[in-house]
Amino acid sequence: MFRIFLRELRRLATTPLCWFMLVGGPLFCAILLTTMMQDGLPSDLPVGMVDMDRTSTSRNLSRNIDAFQICRVSGHYASVSEARKAMQRGEIYAFYYIPEGTTRKLQAQQQPIVSFYTNPQYLVAASLTYKDMRMMSELMGGAATRSVLKARGVGNEQLMGMLQPIVIDCHPISNPSLNYNVYLSNILLPGVFSLFFLFMTVYGIGLEIKENTADELMLSAAIDGRMTSLGTAFRALFGKLAAQGLVMHLVSWLLMAYLYGVLHFPCQCGLPVMLLIASLFVVASQGMGVLMICALPGLRMGLSFASLWGVISFSICGMSFPAMAMPEWVQGLTVLFPLRHYYLLYVNCALDGYPILNVWPFALALVGFALLPLLFVRRFGRIMLHTAYAP
Amino acid sequence: MTINNSFAQTIRSIFTDGGALLFCIVVPLVYPVLYSLIYNRENVREVPVTVVDECRSPISRDYIRRLDATADVRVTGHAPDMLTAQEGIKKRDVYGIVRIPSDFHDALMQGRQTHVQCYCDMSGMLYYKAILTANTDVSLAMNAEVKVADLGGNPVAMASGINGGTAEQRGVLQHPVRYEAVSLFNAQSGFASFLIPAVLVLVIQQTMLLGIGLLAGTRRERGVRTSTELGALSTLTGVALAFIAVYIPVSAYVLCVVPAMFDLPQIGSLWHLAMLMLPFLVAVFNLGITVATLPRHRETIFLLVVFTSVPLLFLTGVSWPGAAMPDFWRYFAMIFPSTHGANAYIRIYAMGATLADVRHEYLMLWALAAFYAFTAWLSVRFVFMKKRTENAGHAVETAEI
Repeated sequence: MFRIFLRELRRLATTPLCWFMLVGGPLFCAILLTTMMQDGLPSDLPVGMVDMDRTSTSRNLSRNIDAFQICRVSGHYASVSEARKAMQRGEIYAFYYIPEGTTRKLQAQQQPIVSFYTNPQYLVAASLTYKDMRMMSELMGGAATRSVLKARGVGNEQLMGMLQPIVIDCHPISNPSLNYNVYLSNILLPGVFSLFFLFMTVYGIGLEIKENTADELMLSAAIDGRMTSLGTAFRALFGKLAAQGLVMHLVSWLLMAYLYGVLHFPCQCGLPVMLLIASLFVVASQGMGVLMICALPGLRMGLSFASLWGVISFSICGMSFPAMAMPEWVQGLTVLFPLRHYYLLYVNCALDGYPILNVWPFALALVGFALLPLLFVRRFGRIMLHTAYAP
Repeated sequence: MTINNSFAQTIRSIFTDGGALLFCIVVPLVYPVLYSLIYNRENVREVPVTVVDECRSPISRDYIRRLDATADVRVTGHAPDMLTAQEGIKKRDVYGIVRIPSDFHDALMQGRQTHVQCYCDMSGMLYYKAILTANTDVSLAMNAEVKVADLGGNPVAMASGINGGTAEQRGVLQHPVRYEAVSLFNAQSGFASFLIPAVLVLVIQQTMLLGIGLLAGTRRERGVRTSTELGALSTLTGVALAFIAVYIPVSAYVLCVVPAMFDLPQIGSLWHLAMLMLPFLVAVFNLGITVATLPRHRETIFLLVVFTSVPLLFLTGVSWPGAAMPDFWRYFAMIFPSTHGANAYIRIYAMGATLADVRHEYLMLWALAAFYAFTAWLSVRFVFMKKRTENAGHAVETAEI
């Protein structure tokens, strides 16, 4: 088995494509996603102003919106239609509309109406600009009440209790700055890594068939001299997996060290536990890979299976859109995707800081995926010896 | 090979080659439906939360009742203290805790501020958004009422001199300014309406790249031969026409039928969309030829194309706002047809923009189409020359598609 292990390591080191799949590709994605979202929370998103009132009050409002963290007033428009056109051209994410006579009505206590328009076709930008603009509108009303109350002699301490009796203090657990990098990269990157690992596993086995090296592989695994024995197939399969797994572990651990050591993403459970979870995820991905190539012999079909499965994982794991909001039958299918279990383990351990035993079924599920190759040892042996590559 | 022959042959191979059939026909048919099914409920509703009511007064119970009545949140349990409430988070039965302080009632009666604490599970931004929105809505509604409520000498009411004032006076005091929040184009702020359109454009691009790569790989491995460089050009034109002919109905289904099936926003002009798709398909095809000609094995194309789906989705700037992207990645994103295609498609079809509004994207797509035509020619020529040196003195064999 050690011979197979060394043979596989040599193959990996001499095939440029393997370097790409195990090292170059994953690391490129890690750099891309984490640097793209390095700000954590978007800031200075361009928004428009439609100020038909043109008073010092309305200009003040526009300056205040500009001063918020998320919004930057990038343009003033003469009418709502023009602002809407600018939105359709992609120049602004949202705009604020102050109709003519707002200040006059405000002073005459006639309840003017202002409005703001967001564009949830760009959902993240819309939620964030909505929050700021709503806050601004509340503050505008508060300022008006405040000047009335002050005129009637209410003191400063009393004021806040009257303007905003109930205050909501929100505590986002473990991600207080609403860092989108933490929220997305923590799952997307292991997901991308796992996609590469699926490919590598499928490709590693498929290539033996394609390049007619399967016989040679089985021959060097057949220490008892019988190429068809179960032991031979076992040694060949697990020798290969061990070599690939070794590299995958190193790369995954590098990712964990980067996320939690360099970028300092929240990791309540400590790095060792996340390394363990990353290891479980690696072997689970390998297990799925073996299932794919053995269930569908042929490199092409195996890789197609891996592509479709791997890409849908990102949606079905429930990271961006919660599983509880999916149709029930889809919720049932989520357990078939290792990324779903990884996600729940990560949330429990790194984000919330509970012991891994709290979510042992998910860890067990990953172990289950990792044991899948045991079911396919016999079939693997048969494929290696009897399948010819068909282009 | 003439254009006609190559066109017919490519169409035939798309429908007979298992891999090409899968990626050019089956995946575009099935995948968008699968994605839409996952996201089709658009919003997460009734997120379960636990309440720790330390006040236990009629007014705190009123707060909880109103919270439960919102669409976003469902109060599934009451805990006596925070420690017990945390058990719910630990078991993932609830995604948030709302704690009402013991002085809630007294503070409101005395005209002091009181703070309601919300603890949100951050495993998904949508949970956080739902819990925060629900609590903000309830608190604002109650704040407005507290201001004018006749709570036995409410200081605000007294100070503003409207104790016993008219309903209109109370209304003005509650809301000196009224505001309206309008969600344009995606009125329900739905997740499917937001994400699926970008995914649809990516499905078209990625499947076409895979299809071209698979066919190119097969031909190369089987050693299909053409005689001259000019022959290569007309072959390529035929292949391009074949792929575009297949992808016109595929695009129509993916970009128009799928949104209709799942009630995604579709207010745009079909004509403008069709005009947009022309440079998009040409650009993707040329990009496909550029990448597909390089690898030696037909399977390699999977490894080059599939993993890019997730980064490319982010590079479009649809989910992570393009305005918040570092400049380097923003320029990097411009070399992919999907970036311009997705943004222009969303703006035309979901937001009702005209072709003139997406001028920048439209011109960029033509520019990419021209640029990738050049690179495609280079890479075909590269393979052609390599083959010729390899087969010096023998019949010339090209390995282009």
